[in-house]
Amino acid sequence: MSTTVITITSGKGGVGKTTITANLASALAMQNKKVVAIDADIGLRNLDVVMGLENRIVYDLVDVIEGRCRLRQAMIKDKRQAELYLIPAAQTRDKTAVSPSDMMLVCNQLRDEGMDYIIIDSPAGIERGFKNAITPADRVIVVTNPEVSAVRDADRIIGMIEAEEKGPAKLIINRIKPAMVDRGEMLSVDDVIDILAVDIIGIIPEDESILIGSNRGTPVAMSSVNGQSASQAFKNIAQRVEGHNIPFIDLTAKTSLLDRVSGFFSRS
Amino acid sequence: MIQQMSEQLQIKGVNDGLLISLGSLTYAEFLNQLNKTLPEKQAFFQGSRVAIDVGPMKLNGRHIAEISTTLTQYGVELWSILSDHEDTREAARKMDLGTRLGGSQTDLDGKPLQTRHKTQTAVNPSLQEDLIIKETIRSGKSIYADGSIVIIGDVNPGAELIAGGDVIVWGRLRGLVHAGAKGDQAAIICALVLNPTQLRIADKIAIAPDEKQTAVIPEQATITKGQIVAEPWQPKSISKTS
Repeated sequence: MSTTVITITSGKGGVGKTTITANLASALAMQNKKVVAIDADIGLRNLDVVMGLENRIVYDLVDVIEGRCRLRQAMIKDKRQAELYLIPAAQTRDKTAVSPSDMMLVCNQLRDEGMDYIIIDSPAGIERGFKNAITPADRVIVVTNPEVSAVRDADRIIGMIEAEEKGPAKLIINRIKPAMVDRGEMLSVDDVIDILAVDIIGIIPEDESILIGSNRGTPVAMSSVNGQSASQAFKNIAQRVEGHNIPFIDLTAKTSLLDRVSGFFSRS
Repeated sequence: MIQQMSEQLQIKGVNDGLLISLGSLTYAEFLNQLNKTLPEKQAFFQGSRVAIDVGPMKLNGRHIAEISTTLTQYGVELWSILSDHEDTREAARKMDLGTRLGGSQTDLDGKPLQTRHKTQTAVNPSLQEDLIIKETIRSGKSIYADGSIVIIGDVNPGAELIAGGDVIVWGRLRGLVHAGAKGDQAAIICALVLNPTQLRIADKIAIAPDEKQTAVIPEQATITKGQIVAEPWQPKSISKTS
């Protein structure tokens, strides 16, 4: 099987790119795929913390690019999954330490290593770091929250992805609160899609277990509790990335049928 | 940018390139000046395009060809001859040169285009045309046209369309639109769903009401009694604005 490079980006910061990268990489590895996650956020590295691999870092992405180590030496093997690796960002440098062609080079080497997936965690913003992350991508996933400012930035980034001819981007809506949506206090999934007009590949509910997992360095996708909605949401995204048609979790399931029917009418 | 070549010969930067005015020079003096100045200021002129304002002077095709050749020698393109004399303009037209600032002034049939915008001055000829774009215009994208803009697709918040003429959106308009940007009060904006962040027509600005329009009702915005008014589109409302 050939290698697929997926870049996770958003425009706006703090919408959950790193968490989603860690969880998607984990979920794909749990399906026995060879996965490497790359932290492209040079100078503000986080992915290692979320994946619980911070203390294992010896070499990083910039060391590879500047020839201080071989690629394999910078690939940190996950402590739980056999075929999950992390290439961390350099913390003491900035975005200018890496160029788009460097990223192409690293990804091509990883293709030769026989990886199934390369997941790149893009930094926020639309500048150099974004260009670095997007250049080697085969597919791009845009993350947004159901808030107007995040959607606005996602729209901008989707336009830039189209301009780079990396589109059409897929969308993940993170941190949906079904109760707030039901009360009309939060943008619904439909509202977001209405503006962005791209295919959706994941809906992730607001769930404390995600934050707890990130703080502990154990992505929630790896948690053994099945049926937990957040964990399941990430596993479903991995399935969809693999090309399976998985229905979306009904996040309104807790409300009564009557509420949903009336909700339907008030939307139209 | 104004550069004095001599007492009478004046060079001015316009959007289209450079404009050289003869002032009270005779044709022979002008050619003389040109031959003297061009080699001196070759770096300044190199690769530029020049319009020449000859005032009331009567020039024939041979004169114009002579000017053009002189300019070409120094890498300067002659693209327009401005004159008060009809014979001079006729001669320039025969040589496929413009006779006004603002790019080509003739349509496909060779007839002069009627200028709708009286305030129009020199503009980039590449922006003269109308634009039809078949895609969603996303946040951060800015589209300019000297003429009208037609978008087949949505215009999202954070995007802007600026047109000298009308703007038509076959889709949902949620961004910013400025129609009649050069002062045309008769410009219109219409959209299948008119839900803009802001509308501007000529020098008027309007903000959409707070309640969000969700139903698909085509609307058209015009300047009516000195302010921008949006109305549901009806066949009869066309005659009101035409």
